[in-house]
Amino acid sequence: MPKGSLRQRLGVNLVFAEEGRRQIEYTTVRMIDGSSNCERVDAAGMMRFKLMFIAQRCYSMRSGILWTMILLAAGSAWAADPSMERKRLDFFETKIRPVLVEHCYECHAADSRKLRGGLLVDSRQGLLEGGESGPAVVPGDLEESLLISALKHDGFEMPPQGKLSSEVVADFEKWIQDGAIDPRRDTNPVARPKAIDIESGRKHWAYHPLKAPTIPTTRNTAWPHNDIDRFILARLEAARLQPAPDAKTIVLVRRLYFDLIGLPPAPEQIVQFVNDKSSGAYENLVDRLMKSPRFGERWGRHWLDVSRFAESMSLRGVLLKHAWRYRDYVIDAFNDDLPFDQFITQQLAGDLLEASSVEVRRQNLIATTFLMMGDTLLENQNKSQLDMDFVDEQLDVIGRGLLAQTITCARCHDHKFDPIPTRDYYAMAGILKNVQGLKHSNVSGFMEVPLPISDAAKRESELRNLSVTRLQREINTLKATLEPQSPTTFPIVVAASSFPGIVVDDDDVKTVGAWTHSVHSKHYIGKRYIHDANKGKGAKTLSFIPKLPGDGEYEVRFAYSHGGGRATNVPVTVFSAAGKQTIIVDMSKAPPLAGRFLSLGTYRFEADEQSLVLISNEGTNGVLTADAIQFLRVDEDSTVTTSPASQAEKELSAGERQALKKSMAKLTADLAALGKQKPAREMVNSAVEKKKPTDLKIHIRGSIDNLGVIAPRGVLQVANYGPVPEMPASSSGRLELANWIVDAKNPLTSRVMVNRVWHWLFGAGLVRTVDNFGTTGESPSHPELLDHLALQFVQQGWSVKKLIRTIVLSRTYRLSAASGEQQEDPENRLLTHMNRRRLDAESLRDAMLSVGGTLEFEMGGATFPANLKTDVGFQFQTPRRSVYVPVFRCSLPELFEVFDFANPSMVTGRRDVSTVAPQALYMMNHTFVRTQGRLTAERLLSESELTTANRIDHAYLLILGRHATEAEVSLSQQFLKSITDTTKKRQGDAWTQMVQAMFSTIEFRYIR
Amino acid sequence: MNPINNCLTRRAALQQAGCGFGSLALAGLCADSVQAANPSAAKEPHLRPRAKRIIFLFMQGGPSHIDTYDYKPTLYKNDGKKMPFDDARTIANTGKRATSERVMKPMWRFKQYGESGRQVSDLFSETAKHSDDLTFIHSMHTEGVAHGPATLFLHCGSTSFIRPSFGSWVTYGLGSENENLPGFMSLGPLSTSGGARNYGSAFLPAANQGTTIGKNGKLDRNATIRNLGNADLSKSEQLRQLQFLQRLNAEQLKSGKRDSELEALISSYELAWRMQNNAPGVLDLVNETQETMAMYGIGEKETDDFGRQCLMARRLCENGVRFVQVTSGATGGVSNWDQHSKLSEHAPQAKAVDKPIAGLLQDLKQRGLLEDTIVWFSGEFGRTPYAQKNGTGRDHNADGFTTWLAGGCLKSGFAYGSTDEFGHKAVENKVHMHDLHATLLHLLGLDHEQLTYRYAGRDFRLTDVHGSVVQGIMT
Repeated sequence: MPKGSLRQRLGVNLVFAEEGRRQIEYTTVRMIDGSSNCERVDAAGMMRFKLMFIAQRCYSMRSGILWTMILLAAGSAWAADPSMERKRLDFFETKIRPVLVEHCYECHAADSRKLRGGLLVDSRQGLLEGGESGPAVVPGDLEESLLISALKHDGFEMPPQGKLSSEVVADFEKWIQDGAIDPRRDTNPVARPKAIDIESGRKHWAYHPLKAPTIPTTRNTAWPHNDIDRFILARLEAARLQPAPDAKTIVLVRRLYFDLIGLPPAPEQIVQFVNDKSSGAYENLVDRLMKSPRFGERWGRHWLDVSRFAESMSLRGVLLKHAWRYRDYVIDAFNDDLPFDQFITQQLAGDLLEASSVEVRRQNLIATTFLMMGDTLLENQNKSQLDMDFVDEQLDVIGRGLLAQTITCARCHDHKFDPIPTRDYYAMAGILKNVQGLKHSNVSGFMEVPLPISDAAKRESELRNLSVTRLQREINTLKATLEPQSPTTFPIVVAASSFPGIVVDDDDVKTVGAWTHSVHSKHYIGKRYIHDANKGKGAKTLSFIPKLPGDGEYEVRFAYSHGGGRATNVPVTVFSAAGKQTIIVDMSKAPPLAGRFLSLGTYRFEADEQSLVLISNEGTNGVLTADAIQFLRVDEDSTVTTSPASQAEKELSAGERQALKKSMAKLTADLAALGKQKPAREMVNSAVEKKKPTDLKIHIRGSIDNLGVIAPRGVLQVANYGPVPEMPASSSGRLELANWIVDAKNPLTSRVMVNRVWHWLFGAGLVRTVDNFGTTGESPSHPELLDHLALQFVQQGWSVKKLIRTIVLSRTYRLSAASGEQQEDPENRLLTHMNRRRLDAESLRDAMLSVGGTLEFEMGGATFPANLKTDVGFQFQTPRRSVYVPVFRCSLPELFEVFDFANPSMVTGRRDVSTVAPQALYMMNHTFVRTQGRLTAERLLSESELTTANRIDHAYLLILGRHATEAEVSLSQQFLKSITDTTKKRQGDAWTQMVQAMFSTIEFRYIR
Repeated sequence: MNPINNCLTRRAALQQAGCGFGSLALAGLCADSVQAANPSAAKEPHLRPRAKRIIFLFMQGGPSHIDTYDYKPTLYKNDGKKMPFDDARTIANTGKRATSERVMKPMWRFKQYGESGRQVSDLFSETAKHSDDLTFIHSMHTEGVAHGPATLFLHCGSTSFIRPSFGSWVTYGLGSENENLPGFMSLGPLSTSGGARNYGSAFLPAANQGTTIGKNGKLDRNATIRNLGNADLSKSEQLRQLQFLQRLNAEQLKSGKRDSELEALISSYELAWRMQNNAPGVLDLVNETQETMAMYGIGEKETDDFGRQCLMARRLCENGVRFVQVTSGATGGVSNWDQHSKLSEHAPQAKAVDKPIAGLLQDLKQRGLLEDTIVWFSGEFGRTPYAQKNGTGRDHNADGFTTWLAGGCLKSGFAYGSTDEFGHKAVENKVHMHDLHATLLHLLGLDHEQLTYRYAGRDFRLTDVHGSVVQGIMT
């Protein structure tokens, strides 16, 4: 018999027939591995009663697994001592059953309204099999019986309302020790959730391989412009519906401007387009708009919704100071038509890609900010939990954003609706867990890494470093002369300041976890050394962070207190400009340098990069100690370290001392001045690989404290049609993940993106649940069209611009939206007409700024001051396009908040479109609207030589993109007149009010 | 254009709200409408409601339950002794249990009050006079060792995931009784510890998010709902402008087909106009008597601001707001209730809120409002019975603390559940924050298991998969 828990070896049912005759009991023993070694039952001390068996062998035809049913029927001979057994039964009936009924059945019985944790305690079998966390009762074994730890509120806390008395807990312990006698039979065996069948899961449309559809033929062959139209028209014809008329040219031009660049057309542009009767006028306008840098600003913003782009965290408004680089990267990607597959790969694994130049390397690093913007709770004190939450958030963005899959539903249990087992969740989570997510402390921080710098900037910086080194050396010499060491014998306890270079003593170390101070070894630097008390392995770290005077090469030396019982395998990691390097230190041995220091090697440090030494007690096999870390310039005289006492001992006269101090002050000032000249090192929040990639264990019920088997790193099985991606031992697996996502055979990625683009152009996707292609999402209205576009997208090199162009050139896109709802198709799923769409927050703001003539088109860059401490109370005043307004999670501009801007903490493929009074209040009263109204009015009034009627018409063209009707001219004239006549307000005020009213009209707030 | 809109039918609301603007109603616009003009219109509850509204008095930072409402004689006996405790922060950081901590007795004297004889410390001597009207839950426990997680858990039922706030669930479930006012208002909300998420609507329709006045525990004298007035135009001028706007809209509608969405947009201006005309009256305390103001401590230096918050909360409730949150934050140099050191600074905190709270209870009672209003007093957690790092303050304690409720449907002068003899952990009749959420929803007529919203492929609840209604506190 293989080793393992008893439960793995056999399933035991004790079935007691209770019909009036307790002395007749039946016991069924099923030996899972086919043997019938019942001695083991006795030997294991589980059931100290004698069993009589009637064994019957059954043969499972299908699986060929032999299992044995041992049915025993016994009379009073059942037990060695019947009176003892009766006592135990009585004990169960009086002490155990009532407690179970009163405190547990509500959530753990077959007839519970809601079964919790998959655990049944209303039958013996239920207790033995246990729930999702394992067996609740292992007869005779208190340690293994989760029921006991739960009753003691150790791990689980049951019942949740409060601990039961210690007498009750003692009863349960006695009961389990006595074999957990339990006459209750499993009357209603639970249908355990079936394992997910990946193959049958593939029947869902979204997992079907992409297949080129036949282009349908339509009765009306004159109407379609391209294949899109043929798919649309074929469905309309089948439903006996007619497409609406084409939209008027003047409507189309405004639609195209907003859709492609997010801005209204200027009156001249409208007039020019309307008057352009050439055959290619429409195509030319499309191409011109798509070449405009404004295109990337519009379409990049769409992607920023999906990637939950933000520049701060909800918690304390902590700023993501470098996230703007990602925003600029996304805008550039859309402007440059970066192939979408590369776009995805760079965002998931840019740091792992080969780069042909520094520029490309920078771009690749910046792209991975995608993974790092999760709005997690940095303050969570349980850092292992925080790490898993961070990964979960990444999986959510990857799942819903790229694949339209709700993968994170499978964190605690197999997905309830989709073929996504928990195993897949942890297979993918394992990949992401190999990324260094956060730097932990009370409030954890983000990983920031320096961006590679250009060669020219590098040369300049090296020259400056040389000067710094020279100055530093002079200062050090002076310092040594001024402050000689007095002791003549080698001291045991030495002050940190007596060592040259930069010494970070254990006083200044940043600790995670509890560290104990000690002077026990009587041989240390400063006041003491510290140690981990050989406890809390894996939960404690030390960070020695030096304040280095300048960039350069340093030897790093580590002082620790050696001795017996010390760990021999302490991982000490040096973070330097070159990356990180881990050295394993054996603390049972004395440090070689004067019995004090161990050299960790020489590293290059740059002041703006990570410079620290991190010591962890993870996996260490004894007491871990730490005393100090010394950073020693390699060109300094290192001999002093062997004996601080060998410093110059000569006495200086007061005059000499004064002179030296003076020159030292000057040198120090020069050094500081040099430091100021230095440009700040450019940083980025990018992914950084952990040194040792690992697989993750399944977290049962999502708990970090309840680990199951390892889920080897992998991808969603149901959407994998190639060979299973092989995960490298040397890196996280993100590149493999990215390659799987952008594989042409992946049935989701291209469909999802094509559908998003459709949604952004039509206001509703072919699949309207754009972030959810699972079984709980909607089905596509035109599945063949979706596949056609997806395949074409891949064939055309994943070009987003080509895709958009194809769609906007279709006749379907150019239909009028005026006809409104159709009786037969009230939701316009078949697209008889164009959907009328609400102007989003950014377009609304940009349109008002643009009409007022104050919109500025400066591109890129940080848009809040580098010294900003928090986003709270930030004043938004930029006249730049909305995409450059900082996206702060604690304070969004009011206009964004009110007009359904995407929640920057969540993947948002489809924004809310709400209609609420605060929007109206904003349009009626907010200074921004009033100011833009006034500026627009001034603009209108500055146009000379116009009659009032013509000026009103011009206002309509400027603001609403069309000419005014006669009725509108007359209404407006009356309004203007009523103001100047009755309230003695000036012309400008009247026009301001009129413009503001026009901003508030239906037409201004919609794309028709 | 929100095709997958799971709107409820709100015909009734539309009849009331759709055709406003007095003389300038757009005739015909409302006739054939089926969809909501006002997404906040009142909705049917799941159960018979026991209360109509909640005023939540949020004590930010975590008041010490053992220095206020949870009387523990054992603490006096063991004062100064080092004893083993499972400290939550230590466990989260290091996994270490039973660390040695110095027991610290309450800094304030406890006295028995009223017929019920409930023990309350001198910190809340005014509120204590109403203890016969209060229902104490001494066995609260929650999640989150730090302020951020615990504050979010208190408000949104999750320490870290982006979830709708309690008030937004309430308005989502019940709508607003008064379409001229938002259904959920937060006075002086925090900008930290999750900030706007604490009154946000996350994935619920945006109309359910809280409307705020003031910030960080402060309600400035002139604080009001944003954009409630126009500095450039008189009322009659603005009305004329709105009439012009609606005529322009009517013109624009001539060329296309009208539908419910456009009507909603048009009537949103009418709603806004009514809100602009009605809300300031509700928010303005000027019509209150001197006597009432004095009852809330308005006009006294220490209590003026919180008193205004409490009085405004009463006025909002009277006018149909479902959920009003009032925040006790920074007071006169003290940041909030978070006394890791110098526990004595609980005194100015309590001073600022005690009289206003007592005034609020008194006022609600004499107006008969306490019958169908719940007043809920709570911090995001309590504090430890031992000194933090052997100092002069107490650390956070999410494992046991006290919340009290007041309301006609509750057993008054009643104490439910208890902590251990040191007041460290809830032990008897434990009430998890999820349970309290479920209970409060239940009192409003909402079944926490039925109050769901489908997002990202599944149905979400305030209580996730947890929570049970605490029947034991209801009459």
